[in-house]
Amino acid sequence: MTEFLQQLVNGLSLGAIYALLALGYTMVYGVLRFINFAHSDVFMVGAFAGLYLAPIVPSGSILGGILVVLGAMMVCALLGALIERFAYRPLRSAPTLNVLITAIGVSLLLQSAGQLSFGAAPRAFPAVFPARALSIGGLDFSSNQVVVLLVALILAVALRFVVFRTKMGSALRAVSQNPRAARLMGINNDVVIRFAFLLGSGLAGAGGVLYATNYPSIDPFMGVLPGLKAFIAAILGGIGSIPGAALGGLLLGLVETFVSGSEYSTYKDAIAFALLILFLIFRPAGILGKTRVEKV
Amino acid sequence: MPKPLLSLLLALCGAWLVSAFSAHLDPYYLDVLIGVGINIVLAVSLNLIAGHTGQFSLGHAGFMAIGAYAATAVSLFLGPLLIGDFPTPGGLAESTLFFAALVAGGAAAAVAGLFVGIPSLRLRGDYLALVTLGFGEIIRVLLQNFELLGGALGLNGIPPYTTPFWVIAAAALTVFVVGCLVNSTYGLGFRAVRDDEIAAAAAGLNPSRYKVVAFTVGTFFAGIAGALFGHFKLTITPAGFDFTRSIEIVVIVILGGLGNTLGVILAAVLLTLLPEFLRPVAEYRLVLYAALLIAIMLLRPQGLFNFSVRRPAAPRV
Amino acid sequence: MSAPLLQLTQATVRFGGLTAVDALDLTLQEGELVGLIGPNGAGKTTAFNLITGLYSPASGSVAFSGRPLAGLAPHRIVAAGIARTFQNIRLFGSLSVLDHVRAAGNLHRTASPLHALLRLRTFRESEAAVTARADELLALFNLSCFRNTPARSLPYGEQRRLEIVRALATRPRLLLLDEPAAGLNPQEKIELVALIQRVHREFNLTILLVEHSMRVVMGVCQRIAVLDHGKKIAEGSPEAIRQNPAVIEAYLGPDHATGLFHH
Repeated sequence: MTEFLQQLVNGLSLGAIYALLALGYTMVYGVLRFINFAHSDVFMVGAFAGLYLAPIVPSGSILGGILVVLGAMMVCALLGALIERFAYRPLRSAPTLNVLITAIGVSLLLQSAGQLSFGAAPRAFPAVFPARALSIGGLDFSSNQVVVLLVALILAVALRFVVFRTKMGSALRAVSQNPRAARLMGINNDVVIRFAFLLGSGLAGAGGVLYATNYPSIDPFMGVLPGLKAFIAAILGGIGSIPGAALGGLLLGLVETFVSGSEYSTYKDAIAFALLILFLIFRPAGILGKTRVEKV
Repeated sequence: MPKPLLSLLLALCGAWLVSAFSAHLDPYYLDVLIGVGINIVLAVSLNLIAGHTGQFSLGHAGFMAIGAYAATAVSLFLGPLLIGDFPTPGGLAESTLFFAALVAGGAAAAVAGLFVGIPSLRLRGDYLALVTLGFGEIIRVLLQNFELLGGALGLNGIPPYTTPFWVIAAAALTVFVVGCLVNSTYGLGFRAVRDDEIAAAAAGLNPSRYKVVAFTVGTFFAGIAGALFGHFKLTITPAGFDFTRSIEIVVIVILGGLGNTLGVILAAVLLTLLPEFLRPVAEYRLVLYAALLIAIMLLRPQGLFNFSVRRPAAPRV
Repeated sequence: MSAPLLQLTQATVRFGGLTAVDALDLTLQEGELVGLIGPNGAGKTTAFNLITGLYSPASGSVAFSGRPLAGLAPHRIVAAGIARTFQNIRLFGSLSVLDHVRAAGNLHRTASPLHALLRLRTFRESEAAVTARADELLALFNLSCFRNTPARSLPYGEQRRLEIVRALATRPRLLLLDEPAAGLNPQEKIELVALIQRVHREFNLTILLVEHSMRVVMGVCQRIAVLDHGKKIAEGSPEAIRQNPAVIEAYLGPDHATGLFHH
């Protein structure tokens, strides 16, 4: 039982990071209908932004940690908006496939540029939050896991507020339901799309710092696997659905943690893809998504 | 004799000529030639799936891995039993064994392709890209866990059977088969399915069949390319067939122009030679690739070598 | 008497809670030219999609010359002899006009990947035959001058015509036309009426026509069925439909006694 609870905590904190990333995928998919492959590398840049910000804030303090997270979010939000402006906006009327390939190109560009500027070797990530080993009722976990869960929760609540309670949020939902109708209602789609990128990339930046806090070794390719898995999480939850992305992220984090705790741990990386294929074949709309019928 | 068959025979003669004179050629150039040839097989076969039929696949390296491992299993494990430990290089027994290994590699990959082609019947666009990507990754993880085939360390000591002859012959055969399939009234179905599946069905064409044929044939040749690659590098690891490798093949196809066989061949040559020329600035190579991919999509989405079509012939996803 | 060519019996299509086609009975005898009309959203296109296998009925059945079509994939239904056009034109953007007709003409021959690879004489001969027939059809419908034009660069009216030719190339016994006059100018509509009549006569076809343009429907159809909210509310000769109060009400709402179809 202790073992189970232990894994539950581990799974939730991994899942929270997947969820943060998945939210960005799902929002961009919502407004532009394509997989933003570069999202995973924005996440990587977030971790590196954290690495470079850490020395200039009070180290190992809550305030310092929060400053690092906020700084990384801002860097990534800016990066996301730049990518959207220069790589994706010129392709607004191009076939989705071309946008998808461009996204792959941007992803490779960020990775290789990261390799040139940060070096290819893994770097140790400093303890930006106060690190302490906690033990409650026989459960061992680090304060970092608690921090991850707390920060993710706060961001999720903030996102919910932005999306459902602000004018920009309703514009975002309008564009993702019907871009043409939204434009006819006087919404500037470009502004909304940029907003989705700012929000999503900011969350990815926070995810990058949190991931690095929990797995303190970062390199320019660190985003690839978490990114793919977070996108899978978004599909499991129902692509385009914000609560779905959060749910999918947590679910995938849990499943993965329980598999790595079992005798099949070496198959951990294949689980997400196997789940993906099963879902796409049997329930392509995901857990919370709606099935779309093509109009003939 | 039909014209395509004649060209195939000519290419095979060329392959034989090159191999006959290979002793007099700089081994470095022969290695580059083999690299180019393998990339042509990969890119032209992916072009059948992604370019002509519009089924965007990000898992080509996974099929290549299956081919490499299956072929290596034949030559490394069965070979000594069948033809002894030290066959004559280039001898009949050795060539027959390698031929069998190539066919085994292609067949194993084709079976896997059939298996992936079936989910593709219900998915399109980026969802399919993701499933094929996932499939490639699953293959890699499975191979890493398969101790009989070397696990994460892979297999080494593979006999050096891959010669320019085999590579040129395989490239010629790939171009021949894909060309024959596509350039016929029957083959119009591939492009019809790409342009509009529902309309294709309304014209009496079976979209599922075309997709499955494209996947099976395309992955067959990916398997052959993997087999050639294994017997060229003499060592294979699961990590050598990861997502990045799939992307490399995709870049070639995009650069050449989706559905444009000649363009894709030229792009394969260009992108295999480019790293050789870029050796002095090797660390910037990846940046250049990435920038190239973005620039092509923004400025010339129909591919570098497509001069006939003004509008991109890219599929709607 | 032999079985009717097309028979829908109590056919029903539902999307979630919405019943798009509600217990529709419709019978077409061989050689008829029947119109299917109704206000927007009445379920006409859904009925087409049901007949052509894109949707399957929640209940009821569709039979084609006495043979049930349930469970057949769309391309099999085409092979059985039902061809169609689409309301929002669906051509293969990158294929030339000729290739559209050749692709569709591929239906009634055995060509497999293996045939295409070996290119034996029989294969090459049947390829040539398909191309020759495609050229004949293009000539018949004045599309020869666009033979090598990619469909996406074709003028609108020609795109509509090419869809009909592509459907004919599958050698159907029943042709379903989904709003062929949509977007055409008055002159083109007159030509279309002539074209439909000609196709009906020369190809020995049975035609089911969905159309909004009353001029076209009243001009060519021998019989008209009217759908509203998925239900058939009337059926009869053009003259009878013109006078039918239920039809007028469906189109204009209550309190409009006359005047709908009188230009």
